Amino acid sequence: MPEPLLYLKAMGAAAIVSAMFVLAMAGVRRPASTARINSACVLGIGLGLAVGYCVLPLRLRWPPVNGLDRFLTIVVPAALTVELIAGFQCVPCWVAWLLRMSLAATIPRILLHGSVYLSGSGNDWTLWQAGAALAVCGALSAGLWGLLSWLSQRSPGVSVPWALSLTIQCAGLTVMMAGYIKGGAAAFPLAATLVATTLGASLITKRLGRPENFVAPAILGIGVVGSFGLLFIGRFFGRLSTGCALAMLLAPLLCWATEVPLLRHRKPWFVGSIRLVLVAIPLVVVLVVAKRDFDRNMVPLLGKAPASIFCLHREDRSR
Amino acid sequence: MQRFFTLSALTLLIGAVVCTGGKSASAADEYDYDLVHSSVSFKARHLDISWIHGRFNDVAGKFSLDRENPSKSTFSLTIKTDSVDTANAARDEHLRQPDYFDTKQFPTIEFKSTKTKAIDGGYEVAGDFTMHGTTKKITIVLTGGKEHDFKGTKRVAFSTELPLKRSDYGFDPKAIGPIGDEALIIIDCEGVRK
Repeated sequence: MPEPLLYLKAMGAAAIVSAMFVLAMAGVRRPASTARINSACVLGIGLGLAVGYCVLPLRLRWPPVNGLDRFLTIVVPAALTVELIAGFQCVPCWVAWLLRMSLAATIPRILLHGSVYLSGSGNDWTLWQAGAALAVCGALSAGLWGLLSWLSQRSPGVSVPWALSLTIQCAGLTVMMAGYIKGGAAAFPLAATLVATTLGASLITKRLGRPENFVAPAILGIGVVGSFGLLFIGRFFGRLSTGCALAMLLAPLLCWATEVPLLRHRKPWFVGSIRLVLVAIPLVVVLVVAKRDFDRNMVPLLGKAPASIFCLHREDRSR
Repeated sequence: MQRFFTLSALTLLIGAVVCTGGKSASAADEYDYDLVHSSVSFKARHLDISWIHGRFNDVAGKFSLDRENPSKSTFSLTIKTDSVDTANAARDEHLRQPDYFDTKQFPTIEFKSTKTKAIDGGYEVAGDFTMHGTTKKITIVLTGGKEHDFKGTKRVAFSTELPLKRSDYGFDPKAIGPIGDEALIIIDCEGVRK
């Protein structure tokens, strides 16, 4: 059963731990370099997630046996490692992107491992279908990662990581309403830790007197991997429809709308707000649709016909 | 005449050898699970006040029975989790989700015997029971084993009940909610000789 108070506790714990860690790490040696802030973000996110999942508590099995286990024990640590390596100044840019794209391409294969889609035990997919689906999903995550990073370089700010956090939070709610409670719950600490880490890193950048240069590729990378992984699990293991999953996954790309000449040179807070509003629109639409489907699906489980519920409401009103 | 007797004796001898050989080869009779006359059902507590009943519609299995040496008998059963049926389509769909059976990840529940012992009224069978990605060694008591020849086909039937805790098999205790942790699987299996 969903436990909203527990989710809030987990989010709070994850957010506080990751923000405090980033502030402490970046403040140890001054002046904090971009690489140092990036490394602090990676470690802060990792620590925040560990604490958040302990508070939930999310029981994971090793070796991992299902999609969510593989996501949290293989994919997320791999994303953290890739971003940690990519953040070192001695690592060439092309090596960093090679690592990121390799990870993006392999995530679908890792998440579907041992499932009916790949084992051939069911009649779900043929070999060709499986290959095509893995390639399309890998390309989708790589494309999203590349486009958001490019936008983040062109127009730095906290809005893109926060748009990703918003997407993850809404993805969690939608996956939960689609019938996968544990999968949805896993999203909340991740969203909270991304918001807090972004906030902590932006405060440090501001204190250094270069707020316009706020770029934290690690937060972006982990956000992309997180949103993609959760929606992928919700789609292929839960009941999340392809349309809803795609709409949520691609929603952060609406941040690109602020690159039109009319908006581009506006004040950063205005551009950031426009971006968040634009991203929130499809997310809210998907949430409303998910809530409607959830209510419709729950009626037969409660043992009441829709008409009888309606009658009950009418009776309550007449009283 | 002498030739006729020689041929008859040879025929009898060959027949006897074939029969003896055949008997020893078929000492363990092989049976297939008869889906039409068998069922795998279950019940689980709801709110700790009542029972929810359901069944699995897609089951396959086979067993070999060695009456002379029961320890050589083997039993195996494969249940397709996607075929769960509780007479409520919405609940069935809910049970297929990752919080419960996770049918896309764990499409089957399996039992494979490792040791069989004849007991009064049936067999005591130890084996590996795999559900939701977790394998545990269990022992079940199969009652029955009576043979019946129906229209030239030999049939044997067994029944058993298997109580289990879902949390022992990796089901998330938080997802158990109003449905109790303990469940009872009831297997009534009729086998048709191959």
